[in-house]
Amino acid sequence: MLSKKWALLLAAVIVTSLILAACAPATPQVVEKVVKETVVVEKEKTVVVEKEVVVTPTPKPEEELITLNWNFGTEPPTLDPALAEDTTSVDVIENLFLGLTAFDPEGNVTGELATEWTTNEAGDVYTFKMRQDAKWVKYNPGTKQVEEVGPVTAHDVVYGIKRTLDPRTASGYAYVLYIIKGGEALNTADTEALSEEELQALVDAVGVRAVDDYTVEITLEHPAGYFPGIAGMWVARPMPKDAIEAHGERWIEPGFIVTNGPYMLAEWAHEDHLTLLKNPLYYDADNVQIERIYGVMVVEASTAMAMYENNELDTTAPPLEDMDRIKADPVLSKELHIGPYPCTYYYGFTTDKPPVDNKLVRRALSAAIDRKSLVENVLKGGQLPANTFTTIGMFGSAAQDPDIAPWALDYTLGLQKAKEWMAEAGYPDGKGFPEIILMHNTSEGHKKIAEAIAAMWKEALGISVKIENQEWKVYLNTISKTTPVEQMPHVWRLGWCADYPDANNWLNEVFHPDKRNDIRWNNREFAELVDKAEVSQDPEERKALYKQAEKILVEEEAAIAPIYYYTTVNLTKPWLQRNYFGLGGQDFFNWKIDWEAKKAALGK
Amino acid sequence: MTKYIIRRLLWGIPVLFFVILVVFILVRFLPGGPFDFAGEKQLPPAVVKNLEAKYHLNDPLWKQFVDYLWGVVRGDLGPSFRYRNRTVNDVIAEGLPVSAQLGMLAMLIAIGIGIPLGIIAALRHNTIVDYLATFFAIVGVSIPAIVMGPLLIWIFALKLQWFPVSRWGAQPPYFLGFLPKPDLTFWRHAILPAFTLGTGLSASIARLTRASLLQVIREDYIRTARAKGLAERMVIFRHALKNSMIPVVTILGPMFAAVLTGTFVVEQIFAIPGLGKHFVTSIGNRDYPIIMGTTLLYGVAIVIANLLVDIVYAWLDPRIRFD
Repeated sequence: MLSKKWALLLAAVIVTSLILAACAPATPQVVEKVVKETVVVEKEKTVVVEKEVVVTPTPKPEEELITLNWNFGTEPPTLDPALAEDTTSVDVIENLFLGLTAFDPEGNVTGELATEWTTNEAGDVYTFKMRQDAKWVKYNPGTKQVEEVGPVTAHDVVYGIKRTLDPRTASGYAYVLYIIKGGEALNTADTEALSEEELQALVDAVGVRAVDDYTVEITLEHPAGYFPGIAGMWVARPMPKDAIEAHGERWIEPGFIVTNGPYMLAEWAHEDHLTLLKNPLYYDADNVQIERIYGVMVVEASTAMAMYENNELDTTAPPLEDMDRIKADPVLSKELHIGPYPCTYYYGFTTDKPPVDNKLVRRALSAAIDRKSLVENVLKGGQLPANTFTTIGMFGSAAQDPDIAPWALDYTLGLQKAKEWMAEAGYPDGKGFPEIILMHNTSEGHKKIAEAIAAMWKEALGISVKIENQEWKVYLNTISKTTPVEQMPHVWRLGWCADYPDANNWLNEVFHPDKRNDIRWNNREFAELVDKAEVSQDPEERKALYKQAEKILVEEEAAIAPIYYYTTVNLTKPWLQRNYFGLGGQDFFNWKIDWEAKKAALGK
Repeated sequence: MTKYIIRRLLWGIPVLFFVILVVFILVRFLPGGPFDFAGEKQLPPAVVKNLEAKYHLNDPLWKQFVDYLWGVVRGDLGPSFRYRNRTVNDVIAEGLPVSAQLGMLAMLIAIGIGIPLGIIAALRHNTIVDYLATFFAIVGVSIPAIVMGPLLIWIFALKLQWFPVSRWGAQPPYFLGFLPKPDLTFWRHAILPAFTLGTGLSASIARLTRASLLQVIREDYIRTARAKGLAERMVIFRHALKNSMIPVVTILGPMFAAVLTGTFVVEQIFAIPGLGKHFVTSIGNRDYPIIMGTTLLYGVAIVIANLLVDIVYAWLDPRIRFD
């Protein structure tokens, strides 16, 4: 009797296992298939194209290569330059694909694929001369060999830009290239309403062409002195047409991907780790010291911190709660580095909602924030108090200029001014001031900041503030300019980070009344200033115009309260020499490791 | 019996259909679409339109639903909106075996500690042994994984250096699709997360086992068995224990389904590439196909786990019959 029941139970378990197994096709099959197919494709290519293929075996076993242990923090959503929107993807892309231009560690625009560039007199046509020794390569993870696919030419740049702008690619960041003539017309075309020929005509009309194999000419909608910065962005990089057409969106998997940067993609275990190997055919390979990047995807900052302390990571961003311990620790405090990061944290005001529709009230609220105390006591990451929206290091930024909102940098002055303005607005000592809502998206950090600022307002101005929070996507919808004003909070937080280092990317894109404009103002004077600055070819004039615009935004109108400029806080092992500038992705190819010191520390 | 299993599995189909329908409607009522923003940057309407067209989000809702169902029938759970080169099938195929490995180990630990602890506590009712066992169970329940995990990392990885800080020690290919190669690397990586997950679960099992066994040993038939002169061990293991397991098995079903399909906190702390995080992050990302896929998978696991529970009931209590 009992044995029959056991048999039944066993049968049930077997059936369940089979069903579960059917539900979950095994990962290895996918990975194995990738490698297998790659080999076949390579063989076909060798025969069909009949060109000389340079095959370079990796000289050393992987464990002997000079390796950087890095934490990507999360799975990169893509490695496709046309599709990337997030910093993790951009960090990888920066090391796999070259741009026409690049940013040096100080944030200046330099040449990468482009050896030089010129503009026409009107300033709306850019001609880039390209280097001729950049090569497309393909790494085969199965055989561990590198194949030279061909030279990187102007045609690849043209293909890349047009691919990003093609609406069928569905690039989230394509709008950055709307500055290129015909770019917006192509990207906003209704693909269902147009015939294939009509769509192709729009593709052909985009203002980018190969003058010869190594010269690209890009025609802009209007003059834009900041364009060289955009020309190097990931969405404008040359892309390998054959690989993309052969494999669709899977072309970025190891074995399929064709790249031209200092590193090649050797391995991508999704959600776990990603390995980059130095590209022996990179034109500047002699100056790339780190031979292998082993990047894990550890989300939890405290886990990454433990890995760093265990020498499993060469550098990490420490969790906020460990900052006091790190600063007190004799070893860790020496490894702590705080550098600028091109983002600004700010509070926006709903400028059409009483009582913050009154600019005196907004000014008072902005002036009554003790930014220095906030940075030192709440944030603790070396952030800098902000008096402008455009952060330090951007062209046209007036950050820290005492001509603009000096009260934001000096709390004694700010407190005095805030009280005056509040009284002038009709609310002396906060009397008669209604309760306002301060909203942030759900996060411990934003909550702490909101609580500190609400307390500052209560103490300085005698007003009461209700703090609310919402889940991220709900929040972003709540604070958008299409939400009815009665559902809007009075004050809300946001941050903005640079795509390219120019005030146009800040003032024009975010607060132009005809563009994003979450603050719901219609300040034509501001609009005219940023419009004029956008097309001006005189750098000094542009700087002056942005300064005026900034003054209106944060001082006269006080439509936003800039709070602090971000920093990048990193712990870095003594054997790693790296840079910290955060624009355009991490350039591992510029970093150096004292390999003997690292091996000694690891006991190897 | 076979007929019963088939009938129950067929009953699962309308249940899963209902799950799909409800989740499909709910996710689309969430404010904010999958492509409104890139980070804090609002995407222009034209760009959003291109993305929606690519993923057929501009089709009428009923068509999207029918297309999704047709995909499910064909075993295609759709593309991920966030991971542009991966499908939901890829995400599940990569994450589920890892979550299942961790989940099974944690369940073994949970049952291995929980049931004996509960039995000992019940048999030594109101003695120091009972108090100690109950104390450990309460501690186990009270310490969440988010505290237990870092604590174990600090003691056993950083201080004693017995185990690695994080990550998973098994790589595909797996035996039968989910069984890892049980080598030293696997065990070294698996022990801390499995204990973090398992001890929390074992505490609930221990408390339930204790309560249930205490109730059963006061029943008349146990008194009768004792009166007949049966040895105490025989009374407990032959008569009391089996019956006391019914409520325990009831919670083991959904518990098993939950840990098998991924546990967000433990996977996050130990950086394990399982499925757990997708249950949580896909909602924040409004990655509709991943939300649907993971929920459906959880639904399938629950249906099967409950079926197993019912089969075990019949073995535990002969009065329960299927037909």
